[in-house]
Amino acid sequence: MSATRSPKVSERVAPKASEPGPPKKKKHDDDDGPGFSQLFNAWLEAHRSSMADSLRRLGKQPIGSFFTCLVMAVALSLPMGLSLLLSNVERLGGSWQRAAQISLYLQLDASSSEGQGLVAQIKEMPGVAEAEYISRDQALNEFQQQSGLGEALKELPENPLPGVVLVTPQEVDKAALEALRTRLAELPKVQQAQLDLVWVERLAAILKLGDRFVFGLTVLLVVALLLVIGNTIRLHIENRRTEIEVIKLVGGTDSYVRRPFLYMGALYGFGAGILSWGVLAFGLDWLNEAVVRLAGLYGSNFSLAGVPVADGLSLLLGAVLLGYIGAWIAVARHLRELAPR
Amino acid sequence: MIRFEQVGKRYPNGHVGLHELSFRVRRGEFLFVTGHSGAGKSTLLRLLLAMERPTTGKLLLAGQDLGQISTAQIPFLRRQIGVVFQNHQLLFDRTVFNNVALPLQILGLSKAEVTKRVDSALERVALSDKAELYPGDLSTGQQQRVGIARAIVHRPALLLADEPTGNLDPRLAAEIMGVFEDINRLGTSVLIASHDLALIARMRHRMLTLQRGRLIGDGEAGV
Repeated sequence: MSATRSPKVSERVAPKASEPGPPKKKKHDDDDGPGFSQLFNAWLEAHRSSMADSLRRLGKQPIGSFFTCLVMAVALSLPMGLSLLLSNVERLGGSWQRAAQISLYLQLDASSSEGQGLVAQIKEMPGVAEAEYISRDQALNEFQQQSGLGEALKELPENPLPGVVLVTPQEVDKAALEALRTRLAELPKVQQAQLDLVWVERLAAILKLGDRFVFGLTVLLVVALLLVIGNTIRLHIENRRTEIEVIKLVGGTDSYVRRPFLYMGALYGFGAGILSWGVLAFGLDWLNEAVVRLAGLYGSNFSLAGVPVADGLSLLLGAVLLGYIGAWIAVARHLRELAPR
Repeated sequence: MIRFEQVGKRYPNGHVGLHELSFRVRRGEFLFVTGHSGAGKSTLLRLLLAMERPTTGKLLLAGQDLGQISTAQIPFLRRQIGVVFQNHQLLFDRTVFNNVALPLQILGLSKAEVTKRVDSALERVALSDKAELYPGDLSTGQQQRVGIARAIVHRPALLLADEPTGNLDPRLAAEIMGVFEDINRLGTSVLIASHDLALIARMRHRMLTLQRGRLIGDGEAGV
């Protein structure tokens, strides 16, 4: 016994009954049940306390917690980073509409006013987003500048180039584009309608491949992430086995036992989400310097877009959810083994 | 309060823990269960805590059939019971206050209510001044009293104790028994599994004697 031991217990409690026989139940002085607001506040308090407890436990092992978050952050950053790079490549490649432009070569005798009239008519057609007329003179000027054959072309008796109408479709669908091309080819003064679908198809195939790769990688890394969080939570459960057994013995439900671990999983996810966001923002910024220099050499002012706030928030929310789900799976698997012994 | 009707417990390995046990415990009664090691005392407590289910017979606790109770109902049954263990089962990373508060936090009581009841329970076991200490800072007897405070803080209808004085010297053991009697006087049924016959005899309460899972005696201790 310690030196500070309290006085004898039986001296401090209610006096003993003076007569033997069956005991009579005494009513406690505060037996009134709690009201709704008290219960609600207690529920909030229980959640606050679970979260604070989980935070405290993570804080007790800062290095271990940090590395768990870092592993999760790497797993999150890979697919997210690739997805951001793909969207930048799409931006670089220009819009789908531009890639799928239809060129209408007009007959040589088509005048400028007829070309302008045709543009107005085409703009009214369904499925057309934009139409632009390039006159024969404009076409010759551009050709002279780009081909380097300026002097030779001047010797020609007349301009051999036709007027052109560039039509930008509203949607990039192979069948729709082909149908539009056929309709445009039937217009008066149109000699030939040309659509370079091969380029469109190649670009679509490359981007589709990229999307599938990112999706596959995401699925694999989500599974890896769930395993990481599940294993981490399993270790926490093992460390708190006695506590869990006591909680169950004094009337704790499975959800009560589960709650702090779910908060822990969500907190790991939150930490991983923040780290991943930071890694991606830093990584894209670091790459951007080189990309801007390279683009400048091609006369482009292209630069990489950073992590949009909406994407960053989705990443954070996804990470928290994954942490929560991983913890849920781990606790559900181990809860049955945690029966008090 | 408790009704055992031909209750038997046979384990998968063939060992019989209890053999057709029948007895009743009235509400507010103080009862000892005694017997040598392996007599079935712990099995009996485990059945009452729904840690195990009887293989034969019927076991009723406060009207609930523990052979039929669903897994989801077990926590709510345990909230009507207080348990004191020989090894205290305290959480050493929590203060005395937080150890005692655990059943109330599980019940979802407000902070003010928890504080009020924990203070009252600690006062009952004369540990008010130790609330902010950790169990590791306390003596064995004080740790046992923390365990008792945790078992009574939610005002259970039934208090179960498994060898609660097993590790204590006779003076401390008598003191702990005094606490149980005080709790019993408030209307809580108390069932203590113990093999300390000398201590039991001094207290003159009803005593069930088990031997190899069979009930061989039911009468007042010391008579």
